Amino acid sequence: MNQSVAQQELEVVSTPASARLSRVGVYLPSIIILIAAVIYGSISSPYFLDFSSLLVNTGRYVEIGLLALALTVVIINGDIDLSVASNLAVSAATMGLLAQSGVPIQIAALAALGVGLGLGAINAAFIVGLGLPSLVVTLATLALYRGLAQIMLGDSAVTDYPEEFIGADQASLLGETLRVPFPLVLFIGFALLFGFLLSRTNFGLACYLTGSNQQAARFSGIKTDRTRATAFLLCGLMAGTAAIMLTSRLGSTLSNVGLGLELLAITVVVLGGTDIFGGRGTILGTVIALFAVMAVRESLAISNVNGQVQDAVVGVILIAAIVVPLAVSRFRERRTLKKLR
Amino acid sequence: MSAGGFTRPWRSLGRLREAGIAAVIILLIAVFGVLNPLFLNPENLGSIVLSVGILMILAVGQMLVIVTRNIDLSVGSVLGLSAMVMGMVGRDLPQMPIYMQIVIAMVVGGLAGAVNGVLVAVANVPSIIATLGTLAIFRGLTFLVSNNVQVDPEDIADQMQDLAAYGPFGVPWLVVFAIVVVAVAWWFTTRTLTGKRLYAIGSNPDAAKMRGLDVRGLTFAVFVIMGALAGLGGAMYVARFATVNPADAGLGFELAVISAVVIGGTNIFGGSGTVFGTVLGTILVGILANGLTVVGVSGFWQRFASGAIILLAVVADAFVRRRIEARQSQETLVRTP
Repeated sequence: MNQSVAQQELEVVSTPASARLSRVGVYLPSIIILIAAVIYGSISSPYFLDFSSLLVNTGRYVEIGLLALALTVVIINGDIDLSVASNLAVSAATMGLLAQSGVPIQIAALAALGVGLGLGAINAAFIVGLGLPSLVVTLATLALYRGLAQIMLGDSAVTDYPEEFIGADQASLLGETLRVPFPLVLFIGFALLFGFLLSRTNFGLACYLTGSNQQAARFSGIKTDRTRATAFLLCGLMAGTAAIMLTSRLGSTLSNVGLGLELLAITVVVLGGTDIFGGRGTILGTVIALFAVMAVRESLAISNVNGQVQDAVVGVILIAAIVVPLAVSRFRERRTLKKLR
Repeated sequence: MSAGGFTRPWRSLGRLREAGIAAVIILLIAVFGVLNPLFLNPENLGSIVLSVGILMILAVGQMLVIVTRNIDLSVGSVLGLSAMVMGMVGRDLPQMPIYMQIVIAMVVGGLAGAVNGVLVAVANVPSIIATLGTLAIFRGLTFLVSNNVQVDPEDIADQMQDLAAYGPFGVPWLVVFAIVVVAVAWWFTTRTLTGKRLYAIGSNPDAAKMRGLDVRGLTFAVFVIMGALAGLGGAMYVARFATVNPADAGLGFELAVISAVVIGGTNIFGGSGTVFGTVLGTILVGILANGLTVVGVSGFWQRFASGAIILLAVVADAFVRRRIEARQSQETLVRTP
């Protein structure tokens, strides 16, 4: 009796403040990490904060970011797509083979988008159509699509891309003084689009409801199947887009292109505060987390830390970003309860 | 409704499923054998048995983890880390007996598993996230520990390498270990109360907690067991390949292991799965990987084929499950007035 009153009081007392805090608090881990990494990077090398090199470096992370944007939607729906990076490889391979056989690069790029969309549709057909768990289906298509890319390309690399297509990330939009790389602009454009989709449209609302409680959402008349399928199609489309960007940046295509990017992209999404079990998450969080991961990896790279160790640090951050806020909120709850008693 | 009404169709359909996998295995052996008789060469069969043995040690652990409604994506990295530590210990302390080296590998693996266990069971991090993180962390640790230097074949004791070649009655010790792991896991899951509790946790964690089961303790224990088995797998990896490369050892192993478990009929959402099914799943994965190479299908088709097989397995599973549900609802209709 006593305790339940205390709990009620606790709710009344703490709701407004904690609600406000939790709204910002979701972004807090990645903001702290971003600031810490920037400070560490600028201490270890004066070149770290060199504006133009920092901007050019973003090209590499934009591909991860594009995948992460679509994955945010998929994960909010309560699903997961492990096959995005393999999908990217098949899209890139298609584009490469078409370019090699003399098809104009614009059409080859369109084909990459089409293939990305198609592979996303295959995922959707198995997961939504047949009602299979997305974790297993996309684990299978992770292998299947990567295998497809290997079958298409074998050991060879496609390098027959037209000059003007290679190196789009060197292109700057705002003149030579303030070099804003094109991929960054593209990423921000897509981020705004996805942000709008999630926060301002019926589709976005349907995503959050589906992810919170799929059955309840279906019974309230939300077309959960269509919502989830759309998310997988978006994921495929972004894999195709990322394939085009990556090909332009590297100027060549191998069958192992983008290997392991799915792990980085999922890390970004979760670090950005999206609940891995669905129902919660924002595009803003994903965007901040992308820059945090980028700052961490670049600041480690500039002090000559090996790539695998960079990944390990990102892994530590991923876990800490979940454990620490959980521990803090548990501690705070206990303290407030004690005070009320 | 009586419990028997539920379990009987379940069991017979489960058996049907296992018979299906066995049929596919026999079919694969026949096809590969006809396409290239070298596939049935004792030497090649021996090589299949060795790779299946390593895979099986890890797959049995993964099955236990998945039964509790968790997943361990870090097994490949744990294998790499424990193989590296054991290889370095063997190189720097050549007098150390072989069994001590294996114990060291299992302790390293067990500690790594304990880290996963603490994250999942105590800190409440979803296992897919926790082990996604430790997948990268343990791989990075392997680099730091080894200083990016591989352990060369001449630094690995002959007795260690013999484990993959000789043993009682001509059966290599590697295979003996795998059989022991399978036997113990079979006994544990079917004959002990603790084993059955794992299924209760996976079927409904909240209900299991309310029934008074130590969900945290058991989940933690399962991850430690998984880690120790990955450590044993690491030791066997060293015995078989006689070299440990920090970037290479166990890389991508998690995919093969999870494929084997899922093909073996373990429900990815926990609560069901058998050791026997896992054994069959592992054999299928091992035969497929080896057979495709021997038949001369380019290595590029292997990934594609393993992906296709997993998809096929899940689709088949869904059909079986739907038939069970249909049958159950029919029974309910009959019995409820």
